Amino acid sequence: MTYQTKRGLRGLLAACAIAVAASMPLKAQAETTYNLALLSDFSGPYADIMPVLAGGREAVFTWWNETRGKELGVKLNYKNYETRYDAAQVASLWPGIKSELDPIAVVGLGGPDVAALSERLPEDKIPMFMATASYGFAWKPDSWIFNPRPTYSHESAGFLNWMREQRGGDGPLKVAILASEASPAYVDMAKGLELYAEENPEEINLVEVIYTEVQPTDLTGQMRRVVRAGAEALIIQTNTSIVVAAKRGLQANGSNIPIMMSSHNGLPASGGALGGLDQLEGDFEAYGMAIAADEDTPARQFYETLVADHGLKAPWNVVTAMGVSQGLFVATVIDHAIEANGAEGLTGEMVREALFAGPITTEETHGFLPSLTFTPEAPFPLEGLKVNVGTVKDGKITIEAIGVDVPDVQKW
Amino acid sequence: MVYFINDIITGALIGLLYSLVAMGFVVIYRASKVFNFAQGELVIIGGFIVWFTTMQAGLSLWLSIPLSLVLAGLVGYAIERIFLTKLIGESVFSMVMVTVGLLILLRGLVLLVFGPAVRPFPIIFPLKPLFLGDMLIPMNLLMGGIITIVAAVGLSWFFNRTRSGLRMTAVAEDHVVASSMGISVKGSIAFAWVLGAILSTIGAMIFLSGKSLTFLASDIGFAALPVALFAGLESIGGLILAGIIIGIAQSLTTNYLDPLIGGSLGSVVPYIIMLAILLIRPTGLFGWRTIERV
Repeated sequence: MTYQTKRGLRGLLAACAIAVAASMPLKAQAETTYNLALLSDFSGPYADIMPVLAGGREAVFTWWNETRGKELGVKLNYKNYETRYDAAQVASLWPGIKSELDPIAVVGLGGPDVAALSERLPEDKIPMFMATASYGFAWKPDSWIFNPRPTYSHESAGFLNWMREQRGGDGPLKVAILASEASPAYVDMAKGLELYAEENPEEINLVEVIYTEVQPTDLTGQMRRVVRAGAEALIIQTNTSIVVAAKRGLQANGSNIPIMMSSHNGLPASGGALGGLDQLEGDFEAYGMAIAADEDTPARQFYETLVADHGLKAPWNVVTAMGVSQGLFVATVIDHAIEANGAEGLTGEMVREALFAGPITTEETHGFLPSLTFTPEAPFPLEGLKVNVGTVKDGKITIEAIGVDVPDVQKW
Repeated sequence: MVYFINDIITGALIGLLYSLVAMGFVVIYRASKVFNFAQGELVIIGGFIVWFTTMQAGLSLWLSIPLSLVLAGLVGYAIERIFLTKLIGESVFSMVMVTVGLLILLRGLVLLVFGPAVRPFPIIFPLKPLFLGDMLIPMNLLMGGIITIVAAVGLSWFFNRTRSGLRMTAVAEDHVVASSMGISVKGSIAFAWVLGAILSTIGAMIFLSGKSLTFLASDIGFAALPVALFAGLESIGGLILAGIIIGIAQSLTTNYLDPLIGGSLGSVVPYIIMLAILLIRPTGLFGWRTIERV
């Protein structure tokens, strides 16, 4: 290579470098970045499901950035904050999160987040979007916290009505609730269903509400009372350890009363903790979200896309579905806000307004959620509420019912 | 009436489980005057060791149980050597604060090493309960109750009748004086931690048999706390009575009062009893009264 050729090459390289450097700020200017604060529990009671749930919601943001975000010139940046599922921890972290990230939305996890931030978010004008069902204590107008699902009590009431219809015959369904005072959310789940049973004695006969610890020592005695009372269903919407202890208690009593679980303590998590799904044969999970069963559904297809093209590593189960549905819920609302206000200068307030402006269709959430229409009257849609029911048959999770109507539950 | 008696028996057996975990508090306290706040975490460590040897390594229970007890003892020894041995001669308060730090550290280590997943714990005791007429007694609690009584009798004899046990008590009184009398302070405290870790592992086996294992199981340490304080921190035999009283009170409250009030008074009752007895007798039921001559 001659000296002149070398010089020429150097010059060419320098020109390329300058061109690349010059184009970078232009590209950065073209892409508007908005921050999302993700509240997570990697070391508290939900540490077991958190990596999977986080994987689901983060994969959706990656997918959105690579597809819709690219079209709109918007990038959703996110950061996880460890709350240990503790309201005090959330409250103490919040000022730091706000000043560090200046988020346009918070992606919440559970009851402690709601308890800690329900008074702060309206002042800070930042909405929070949840994955879980809603809570009675958060059922207020003009909320800044939104759930794609109704309250846990709505979901359990919907399931119980479906179960009563399946059973046939007259008379209310005899039901017991197993809850815990470890969290205000757990108490709330029980209180709502208690009120519903009180107001609808022809539908539900609540034989007992049992409160226990999150890791019970022994529930044999409590389960004996439930069996003696003739309960036909046991509602456990708390955590997997309570499901395991209750199942062992029922087995000790030679009983097979069906247990209904929720999404966060559902069949795969509780089955795993019991040593196998076969232990939960005939038990149920019910919630207002897609059931992660083996069937080929639009939700399953979208999950496969996330795995194939957007780096999702979590397995196909209810927790992943919960994370994905939450991510889609948040991304769709932000998408609507951008459509209404443009990509620049989006605020938390605009995101909240976009939620009320129009429905989030089930197509937009790839079948993970039913069509949702929010109003300022409640933190969750008040009409068109549905739950899906999954069960274990021959050791596999199968969809038992889709789109079960949720009854009207009065505020408690 | 049968159910009432059944609830009393089950309550007494749950109370004995608390006594076994509380024995870990007392053994360490008797040897070092240190109240180990990380006792619940030792239960978890023991639980994970049993889970690992059984479910992961695939060893039979006959092999995994003794191996787990040996490994738990080694963990107890390592904890003492790494964190506490250098504090011998320092104030008891600093050692207690180390156990608070240990609580956080062990919990973090469990999460780091084993992860947060809820795991099925091996079935150590038969799941089928014992039926006595209409009465139903969980086998894990029944076997646990027997083990607890045997352990309490053995340890009481050890601490009150053997030279090694009495030496440990002397160590608890004053490290410097014990040392000047030729007693190995390090050895006594290390032995107490080994014993505490082994007792915690046995407690984990009874508590978790056939259930699930997460770090949340460490809460049993707090459930055992009222039993230890109620009995008095020096009395191993007293733990049996204290455990039975607290267990029965908790069971009756859970089964008869809780359904009426619609709450969980049962989990608070042990603390109410503990506070009531401490108001009347600050050293607990069987705790030593210190007489100081000036």
